Amino acid sequence: MTSTENLKTLGDYAINYGSKRTDAIIARVVQTENSQIRFSQSNIDISKRWEALKLELFIVMGEKTGTTDRPITSVEDVKKAVDDTVSFTEILPDSMFYAGLEDATHSYRELKGEYDDKIDSFAEIAPEVINSVIDEAVREGAKRVAGALMITKQNFFFKSSLGPEGSSKGTTYDLNVRALQEELDYSGQGLDCGTIPSQSEKSMLEAGAKAGQLSKQAIGAVQGTPGTYDLILSPTVAANVLGSIPESANPFYIMMGMSPLQDRMGEQIAPEFVTASEDPLFTGGLRSTPFDWEGTPSRTTNIVEKGVLKSLIHNTTTARMFDAESTGSSRMGDVGVGMKMLLPGASNIVFDNGNHSLEELMDVTKPTIYVTCNWYSRFQNYQTGEFSTIPRDAMFLVEKGEMKPIKNMRISDNTMRMFANIDALGNDRTQVYWWEVQTPTVISTMRIRDCKMTAATQ
Amino acid sequence: MKLASIMKDGKDLAEHCIDFGQKLGADYVEARYVNDTTRSLAFRNGMLVSGGFTPSLGIGVRVLVDGSMGFCSFDRLEKNLAEGAITTATKMARNAKRKEPIDLGESVTNVAKWKMETKQSLQDVDIETIKDLCTEANQQMAGLASFVFMFNANVIDKYLVTSEGTKIDSQLSYLLMYAILTAQAPGGSEQRFLDLTLAGGWERIKESNFIENVKNEVERLRKSAESAVKIDELMTQPIDMVVGPEVAGIIAHENVGHPSEGDRIMGREGAQAGESFWRDLKIGKSRVGSDAVNVSEDPTIVETAGHYVYDDEGVKSRKRELIKNGILHEPLLNREFGTKFGMGSNAAARATAFNREPIIRMANTYFEPGDYSFEELVEDVKLGVFMRSFQEWNIDDRRYQSKYTGSEAYLIKNGEITDTMVKRPIMETTSVGMLSAVDAVSKDLRFDFPGTCGKGDPMQGTPVYAGGGDIRFREIRLGGVG
Repeated sequence: MTSTENLKTLGDYAINYGSKRTDAIIARVVQTENSQIRFSQSNIDISKRWEALKLELFIVMGEKTGTTDRPITSVEDVKKAVDDTVSFTEILPDSMFYAGLEDATHSYRELKGEYDDKIDSFAEIAPEVINSVIDEAVREGAKRVAGALMITKQNFFFKSSLGPEGSSKGTTYDLNVRALQEELDYSGQGLDCGTIPSQSEKSMLEAGAKAGQLSKQAIGAVQGTPGTYDLILSPTVAANVLGSIPESANPFYIMMGMSPLQDRMGEQIAPEFVTASEDPLFTGGLRSTPFDWEGTPSRTTNIVEKGVLKSLIHNTTTARMFDAESTGSSRMGDVGVGMKMLLPGASNIVFDNGNHSLEELMDVTKPTIYVTCNWYSRFQNYQTGEFSTIPRDAMFLVEKGEMKPIKNMRISDNTMRMFANIDALGNDRTQVYWWEVQTPTVISTMRIRDCKMTAATQ
Repeated sequence: MKLASIMKDGKDLAEHCIDFGQKLGADYVEARYVNDTTRSLAFRNGMLVSGGFTPSLGIGVRVLVDGSMGFCSFDRLEKNLAEGAITTATKMARNAKRKEPIDLGESVTNVAKWKMETKQSLQDVDIETIKDLCTEANQQMAGLASFVFMFNANVIDKYLVTSEGTKIDSQLSYLLMYAILTAQAPGGSEQRFLDLTLAGGWERIKESNFIENVKNEVERLRKSAESAVKIDELMTQPIDMVVGPEVAGIIAHENVGHPSEGDRIMGREGAQAGESFWRDLKIGKSRVGSDAVNVSEDPTIVETAGHYVYDDEGVKSRKRELIKNGILHEPLLNREFGTKFGMGSNAAARATAFNREPIIRMANTYFEPGDYSFEELVEDVKLGVFMRSFQEWNIDDRRYQSKYTGSEAYLIKNGEITDTMVKRPIMETTSVGMLSAVDAVSKDLRFDFPGTCGKGDPMQGTPVYAGGGDIRFREIRLGGVG
């Protein structure tokens, strides 16, 4: 991997050269070495390796702003990137989404537990680990096992013409295991993620075992009956459905019509035992970072505190637009295809842990459905929260002290209503990150009152 | 600063990757050099929020080693970097120790050049012209509670080379455009997420009546928000449904196209996009719909987002008939799964970028047109709904349980479409339940559903088209309304 010193050389050049042509410029030089192993039918299908070195730029010219994100190899490439971005920005109209950047220089704390020194050697043995994960799932009752393990390694240098400068490096892994019986209907999922893969073989094997157990427990699932039920949502499901509420405490989403939190500031939107934050300092968080994209130091922002909507997340621009302070949440986000934009964005969404065991959550007096995994959430209206999502893998009807596997149902409800109807929190808080949860979310099992479950009419 | 020696020409480096992979003992090596440029603008309520010029360039290499597949990609055209990445991918593939070796079947040795035909290349369109178009598009949306318009001019040059002798040069050209619309009315708001993608050159803006289409979409959404009502009568009995080509398209894509993907059928997407209910059926024998159901997939149709002449494994494209007269007819296959099915590839391998592996994807999926006029479909419906467009939808990962919630929908009474708009009618059915209820398709084939299809891990968002004639379903029990 190129040293941080080399990244700094490229970043310094971007700022030195770009400062002469712009009113402000931020450069981030990012090197990544990622690997992935995908498997299905208990076989490894493909092993992948990605090598990338890219330059991300944000420039300000009067009221105009421009961005780019492109591969580079040399200072000549950096110069061309700056020239191209300046040329393109010059001919754009003024941006209505710019009100300033971080202009103070800070020292940044070093985050612990974000880099695995042994990641390269782990990547080499990862296929063997995956074969062990498959064996574990089979041992617990799976007939077929599928999944993917992603391992990432990133090193970056960043500098702003307004003063801030820093560098950081990090590693992550995320494992998704799906155990299946011969039948299509009976399956279970296990997830694991973190920042130190070389010390995580045990938890990876546990994910395989959990998937295998759930798949076995799902055998014999019968068609569920539509109706209104209390739901117990595993951390995986809670992260997707209810994690979306604090994640949408984002002024950009509100402006785009994509958030249900417009005009809700200060309101009680959940019970008092629910607190959720944007926490870029969370130890072991997949997106933990000592500073944001502009160089504002990271801090923890309580979005929902004791059930009350307390804060949106901000970068410098939205803070000024909303008469607030930056929360250190400036990120270079994707907008559309191939377009980047400097926006507020969540790093890790972190909920406070609860105090109920899973057994206590399942100690219910009326028919309740335990959903262990979901996918394909779609909204009819983001502003009101009307949506549906499909439970997949093991799902159980909890009734009279028994768990019976059921299948083929859909949660068709409203995320704001469900957030308000959280009934109890588990004490099993865990970090969730996978296909359906793209913002790392640390959350526990949740029980929700009176949710609408639907099913096919024919 | 020491930087590795740079090979400027991506094609030369791609060919070097083939030689290097073979030296490492790979049985098959494939390299794709991709140079992708996008010019983008994003607007909120008519005002610019962002613009960018984003080039992406790199090489993706697949190696088949002892029956196991390895993939690597790199974005700097450096020989040492390429060799290091291929060495690592080869090592990882060897360590995989697959029990069942991957077999790509017969060699493919196509040599060709092709490109999406354009009258006015997107690369020749100046930014002023693009800004003018965006201004005009934004003007059509004025008056809505909020509106977002995103424009991307995207040109992709590719060079595919393999150890078997395939060499394909190609160029793709897309106008990737999206809108998020919110209409507010006293009874609440309605939203619409529109994919307005066009394929080809700048001339497609005029040829497709783009501005007029945007204007109509906005007007319809506003009307839905203002006047759609819940009609209880529709929930008390089975009704007939007529859906337009947009809804036909999403049904063709989700309930037929996805389950027909050979990799799903054989479980390769098991932990991500899922498997397929086709697995337990017999191709050529199993009935999944009425005789009126004919669904095809065709990448050879020009001026569509799903158009290509050769796929990303170098196989020449052709039309695929997925369902014929209600019976499963042909799955979508790449070389690996074409071999497993014993049918050979039908050119369904697509990769969205240099850093993604080619996997089985749809192109243009549609209900084949029938013999009816739209008026004939409606004239003997006593009580029903014409669902012209949809908003919320989803389907389970075996592609069997689907839900489509209407956006613009009208009450049909006694053979006529009334002025009464129906609020959010829901078709929540199984794939077979729904396809079995089709009794007629109109003769007006339209691809009213451009979309970005998501699949793979890491995610690959592929431009596709979907459509059909209008479809009539008999005796549908709605899952909800209002």
